[in-house]
Amino acid sequence: MPSITDSEAKSTAPAGGQAPKREAPRKAAVAPWRVLRRALIAREGSIVVVTIILIAYFSLRLSAFPTVANFQVLLPYFAPTGILAAGEVFLMINGEIDLSIAGTYLLAPFLYYELAHGGVPLVPSIIISLLACAAVGLANGFIVSVIGINSFITTLGMLFALEGITLIISHSEELQTPGTTATGSPSTFASIMGAGTYAELIWAVVIVFVLQVILTRTRWGMHTIAVGSNKTGAAEAGVRVRAILTRNFVVCAVAAGLVGILEGVRTTSITPDPSAATSILLYAIAAAVIGGTLLVGGAGTVVGALIGALFLGVIQDGLVIEGVSANDEFLYAGVAILIAMILNTYVGRVRTRSGLG
Amino acid sequence: MAETTDNEVIVPPTSAPDDVLRVEHIQKSFGPVTALRDVSLHLRKGEVLGLLGDNGAGKSTLIKIVCGFQKQDSGTMWLRGSDYTPKSVEDARRHGIDVVYQDLALIDELSVYQNMFLCRERRLSPLPLLNTRLMKSEARKALDDIGINLPRLDVPVVRLSGGQRQSIAVARGVYSEADILLLDEPLAAMGAKEGGMILELIGRLKADGKISMIMILHNYAHVLETCDRVNMIVDGVIELDKPTADTSVEELNEIVVEEYRRARAAAQAAGNGQVEA
Repeated sequence: MPSITDSEAKSTAPAGGQAPKREAPRKAAVAPWRVLRRALIAREGSIVVVTIILIAYFSLRLSAFPTVANFQVLLPYFAPTGILAAGEVFLMINGEIDLSIAGTYLLAPFLYYELAHGGVPLVPSIIISLLACAAVGLANGFIVSVIGINSFITTLGMLFALEGITLIISHSEELQTPGTTATGSPSTFASIMGAGTYAELIWAVVIVFVLQVILTRTRWGMHTIAVGSNKTGAAEAGVRVRAILTRNFVVCAVAAGLVGILEGVRTTSITPDPSAATSILLYAIAAAVIGGTLLVGGAGTVVGALIGALFLGVIQDGLVIEGVSANDEFLYAGVAILIAMILNTYVGRVRTRSGLG
Repeated sequence: MAETTDNEVIVPPTSAPDDVLRVEHIQKSFGPVTALRDVSLHLRKGEVLGLLGDNGAGKSTLIKIVCGFQKQDSGTMWLRGSDYTPKSVEDARRHGIDVVYQDLALIDELSVYQNMFLCRERRLSPLPLLNTRLMKSEARKALDDIGINLPRLDVPVVRLSGGQRQSIAVARGVYSEADILLLDEPLAAMGAKEGGMILELIGRLKADGKISMIMILHNYAHVLETCDRVNMIVDGVIELDKPTADTSVEELNEIVVEEYRRARAAAQAAGNGQVEA
């Protein structure tokens, strides 16, 4: 660790005050190792490497794996999870968690259905549904940051309540998603809103890109990290802690509502199935953590969450092609998550020693 | 907290024509604990006021009220002649008051330059994006100016030494464009070398005469060397208000020793008289 040296810097202070060149002291290493080491040092680097290894493994074993057709099969396994995880990352960096995204995910398409059947045009129906999701986020934010209830409990209660509302308004019936047809090719509207082959992927990439820029390049992102890393210090420095928390709850809820609608349009039907919603919630949290976001807050990456979701999707898809039975699949997936996390932690230590962020 | 005792001296509100800040009859309690009973002080333009007192005397509470982080229960503040009731830290900052907290208020996971610009971020307006390059170069300039040499400004501050962290917190306050600066133990985590650098910086600021400062310090020698005037808080009230030229380490020590004597006598009396709840 370099220590403060007496004012020698003063004499050499450049007018522009430029930062010194980034050259961490480094042993002479072979170039490929250097590249690998750099990749591992990035917060999302380890999961990228682990995912590439996994894809290589399946590609070598299974000729059906590295094909365009299979990639298209794989998409719905990870794009929706990636969007949910991207929103969750913001709250997890705050040191909070939002379980109610499974509820907003479930409820939003039914709100959309009710509005569309009530005569509201399709696009406004979606917008109003997402505004309702934003209201859920506001409520979560208020209860957590103003009343001061733990976010796990708050959003667990909200999750049950939203699932209940969904079951009530749907009468527990499966419904056809407005704006879609079960047969024939989808309309332009439906193609954009999830039915197009790459629609969800494009949504995921765009959302992840925007949220990653917000996280790393804006005041909002900086303050999100500040609140998660040192809540008291952030408040003392003038960060509006409650506003940041509430805003992130809103982002999380709207992202989840959007995924619910995208999935409804893609599959052309909506099912009030709380257990399926809870399952995708858990995948989203797993994706965020695998991607390099800390559950305790203070650090995280949105891009990593998307890669984490890809990792989970590849495992599921690969195991299906391998012919692993549905029962065994969970076991393999669970073990794979544990191994990935152990690797992540190991790589995290390498990162800490490297003296980089 | 006992009632005002007979031998206690409360300094009444004083003022000078060139005051930039006046604090009058501030009271603050946290539940059953009274932090400030009746505090009045004033700060003249360009002055360095040393705020002394034992642990728990209420110094930090007073600083946090002036900087807008906490609200007083009663009492008023005046800033450059007009009523001053900061709604938040940001509001106080807009009024030209900034603070270096005792706990530093640094964010471990954020880098040196991000910490220095936390809540004062430079942006690539009209875009909402951060102007990283500008923040880095301004941070570098500020640190160079103090004489702190950090090879990299993009490392998280969690990796820095206690003294380096403290320097960053002080630099953040000093280069905030504030004209009133509150420093809560700016030398706490520092060795002699780093501490000397900070004292030298404060001396330079004093010579400039643009910034007025209230500084909490524990080392009386530093106080006499750096400050123009000292105020001592004992038990939530100001007991002493003197120019540093008129006081000495001995006098300041004596006040503290006397306070301990009183406290011991009170404890003994309580022990003899009634059983504490």
